[in-house]
Amino acid sequence: MVNHPDWSALRATETARMEAACTRCGACAEACPMLPYAPAAQGVAAPDLVRGVLEVLQGGPGSPGARDWINACTRSGSCNAACPEAVNPMLMLRLAKWRANETGALPRRDALEAMSRAKAFARLGFTEDEQKDWL
Amino acid sequence: MTDNLFWYGCNMTRHAEIIRLGQKMLQAVGVEAAPTGGPGACCGSPKESTPRIAEGMANRTMAKFRDSGAGRVITWCPSCHMNLDDFMGQSQEQGFDSRHLSEALWERREALAPLLSRQVPARFMVDRHIGFQDRSPVNDIIPALLEMVPGAAHVDHPLRGASYMCFGLANVPGALPDHLRATLDAVRESGADTLITIFHSCHREMVGLERDHGVRVLNWVHLLAEGLGWDYEDEYKAWRNSADPLAAIGPERVAAAGEAAVRKLVVPELARPRSV
Repeated sequence: MVNHPDWSALRATETARMEAACTRCGACAEACPMLPYAPAAQGVAAPDLVRGVLEVLQGGPGSPGARDWINACTRSGSCNAACPEAVNPMLMLRLAKWRANETGALPRRDALEAMSRAKAFARLGFTEDEQKDWL
Repeated sequence: MTDNLFWYGCNMTRHAEIIRLGQKMLQAVGVEAAPTGGPGACCGSPKESTPRIAEGMANRTMAKFRDSGAGRVITWCPSCHMNLDDFMGQSQEQGFDSRHLSEALWERREALAPLLSRQVPARFMVDRHIGFQDRSPVNDIIPALLEMVPGAAHVDHPLRGASYMCFGLANVPGALPDHLRATLDAVRESGADTLITIFHSCHREMVGLERDHGVRVLNWVHLLAEGLGWDYEDEYKAWRNSADPLAAIGPERVAAAGEAAVRKLVVPELARPRSV
């Protein structure tokens, strides 16, 4: 059973759901162990950080604190455990990052060489048969 | 046609011996699983900043899995596992179930136990992270599996990395060095002589601690293999901890893999500065 025809539809559905379900209480931000690594988020009220993330999710620039928080997300999942509304803030931050990469609100992570590097390591470590069968 | 696939992911190409050992362990407990991974079986995660491309890669992987006829995909990588749950299986017909490798072995622990006959004296601490535990209880299963190895004793510590594996921390300035320092402190506090990594990105980051801080660093699959009496060589660790990675790899293998690519893509990673 497929829930969404593609990732764009998934993102649109989830964005609308999150926008409606989130009460901007800030429990997710308060629970995040990575917030100390988000310099611009320091001293910003947790509900304001959440508002900023939702703005990014909708295609806006968001606040500097929200963008820093999005960038510092390591998918610890601490936010999900803290959220009283089952919003799935971890997914919210991840989708916000994708949106920010698209709008230019956040720079794209350079992963240009990731696949070439994986292939180079495979040529070093795999036998010829393994390269044929496993890749 | 194959009953099971062992989906090792893309970045595990650095650790061929773990793939071989994982497949052999599954086989030993009665699970035939064909390894698949690399760029041709990508979950899209490396291209995540361009979701349209990531989706195309993920869809191609799902088609490959469906065409294989496998009823189960045994995962290694938490990024792949989570992308399968959150995106790939949400937008493509799945037709198979999934388990992390540790879960697949845990399900067959009664078959595994009698095979673990070799004494491996070790007081081990596990580098655990909080982010994947709700998908697969690796933080509980892996210490339990390793405690089945004769002579191996788990020393518990409350430290948990604030991520799903070290890869996430490595992209946030300051976060990975903090985790490595906290891990070294935890090793000393707990009296462990061996640090066990769960995931490949953690192993990649932690192996350097063996050279500079005197703690033995193994992946959980390595310790299990030792209990089974199986030989293996952790070449990534040897290369990372050598003064000259290119020489450690050796000229013949460098030439066979393509010297330009090895110099451009492999050596900079192996020789990268150490943060602690």
